[in-house]
Amino acid sequence: MKKIILITVISSLFLFLSGCKNKETARLIVPDNYTNWTITADNLNYPIPGHENHFRRVFINSTGKKVMTEKKNGRVFYNYPKGTIIIKEIYPSLNPKPETKPISLSVMIKDPDNPKSRDGWVWIVKDLKKNTEKIIDYEFCYDCHTNANEPHPYGDGNPNGDFRDDVFFPYKKGN
Amino acid sequence: MKHFKPITRRVNTIIILSLVFGLGMTTAYFSYNENSALISTTRNNLHQQSDILYQSIKNAMLPGNAPIAVSLFTDIRDINPAYEIMLFRENGVQAFSDNTTIDTVNTNLMRKKFSERLTQINDMFTIHNDPQFTSTVLQRKTSAFQISDKGQTFFTIYKPLLNLPKCAVCHGSDHTIRGIIKIRSNITPIVKKQRINLLIAGAFFILLLLFLTLLLTRFFKTKILGPVKHIGTVCTEVTSGNFNSRVTINNEDEIGVLGDTVNTMVEGLYERFQLSKFVSSSTINSIKNKEEGFKDSITLFFSDIRSFTAYSENKTPEQIVENLNKILSMQTEIIHKYGGDVDKYVGDEVVALFTGEEKEINACRSALEIQKELAARSASHYDGLQVGIGLNTGEVILGMIGSSQRADFTVIGDHVNFASRLCDAAKPGQVIISDSVYTNLHNRFKTSNPYKIKVKGKEKFQRVYILTPLTKEDPEV
Repeated sequence: MKKIILITVISSLFLFLSGCKNKETARLIVPDNYTNWTITADNLNYPIPGHENHFRRVFINSTGKKVMTEKKNGRVFYNYPKGTIIIKEIYPSLNPKPETKPISLSVMIKDPDNPKSRDGWVWIVKDLKKNTEKIIDYEFCYDCHTNANEPHPYGDGNPNGDFRDDVFFPYKKGN
Repeated sequence: MKHFKPITRRVNTIIILSLVFGLGMTTAYFSYNENSALISTTRNNLHQQSDILYQSIKNAMLPGNAPIAVSLFTDIRDINPAYEIMLFRENGVQAFSDNTTIDTVNTNLMRKKFSERLTQINDMFTIHNDPQFTSTVLQRKTSAFQISDKGQTFFTIYKPLLNLPKCAVCHGSDHTIRGIIKIRSNITPIVKKQRINLLIAGAFFILLLLFLTLLLTRFFKTKILGPVKHIGTVCTEVTSGNFNSRVTINNEDEIGVLGDTVNTMVEGLYERFQLSKFVSSSTINSIKNKEEGFKDSITLFFSDIRSFTAYSENKTPEQIVENLNKILSMQTEIIHKYGGDVDKYVGDEVVALFTGEEKEINACRSALEIQKELAARSASHYDGLQVGIGLNTGEVILGMIGSSQRADFTVIGDHVNFASRLCDAAKPGQVIISDSVYTNLHNRFKTSNPYKIKVKGKEKFQRVYILTPLTKEDPEV
């Protein structure tokens, strides 16, 4: 009888424990050496929704510089290769001093196979004070950046309505 | 004796535990999945509706058709009063409830794009101290939650309406959230259905548990435990000597086969028990102990019917057998009574063995009681037959004597022959004992003076005694 009860208790415990899933530990994926990359925008000192009154600077990695462009029906289509990383530094104010460090990074990583990607990009916000990264898999980043594929009020404004693959400041050869 | 643990209790415990866990987990799994699917479908539908609404509002507002969005909200509320849809500014004030947005747009466009409308204070609705609303504004992320109030359950979604670049032309770039869409649906019927599902699953579980418990318990009781108990009872009865007890199981399975085997075994035991009557105890013990042959000091008992040949000539075979069996049975019974073992019957002769510390005394008691019985009832019960008895003690060889096909465990040796000679010498009603027997009686029996007799196989005269029949005053009576 004792054996039966023991087996029952052990089985219950096993079933209970097997129901507990291991929480995935956070893994930092944004590279630290991005400041050596190519800058695609460095004078973003005007407020915009999403970043409000924060100066911004944009970098692109070497993979991103291999962006393919194709013209279809008079419209240019940009296609950033998988592995492209675009990092936007967010500063504490619109007019930071030269020695001021950014407070956070908004990051786009081209990875269409990632289940958390939206429109082919994985959207990440890195808090540089806490050194934590958070994947934004809801509308917030993606919904705004789709506006880059039509005329918009930033940078050159994309007057021809090119499909710019959600990038407001695209890398252009010769930058 | 080992502590008895009834298997019935263990079997019942196993059955009930198996059913409780098996059925319980299955029922819980399916009812949980059913309810999860129900609620997740409802929530997904509401999320999809909020997405559609989000896109509708966005597309309606971009060309400057905010009034269309307002009427959309009103129309949806009118169609389904249980479905509440509202748009709030990020400060919690209901959108379109005053002219704030119109003024901002007109200012940003530097023209009077929209005419101011009359503010209807009664229409204004403001959200205060709603942590979910505040969280949505701060996190800029859709939040959904379920609350119950006064027996009603509501599922609410707060979805941020972003100030997209194309919105910024009219609304300015100094803020991220244009507003918060609130969708609230009364899901009380869904929650009730969940509860009913759980109740049905619980009832189904209990009924099935009871039914299967009864079914399995009855099955085990009637098909396994009952027959096993019955077989145990039969074995107990057979152990007590009741060889008429039989297993009566009609199962055509392993238990039935076991019952048949037990019955066959009981029949075999009964046959052996019956056969044991025809075999001496020493033979049985010898077989049991796998004895080959050994020497032992025993008292040999020989009795023989006097003038039996002459008696036989005047009687029919039926009379001879009947009376012979009577007198042999009487002798055997008395010999057994005093612990003797009948070694064999040789015609009208009885050969018996006595062992143990009082072997001589027991042999003498048997002999005297036999003679006493015959003296009293020979004429009336034994057709006038009389016996002579000879007793001798000595070391003899005991062993299986015979061939591999037929053998008897018997005694051989000089002392055996001497006992036989004493029997031959005894007259009807006499018990002649050898000197070796006499020595160990320690005067507990009366004897006549020692006699000297010459027997075949012995060169010298042998001293013998004749036992005096017991009287009422005799201590051995």
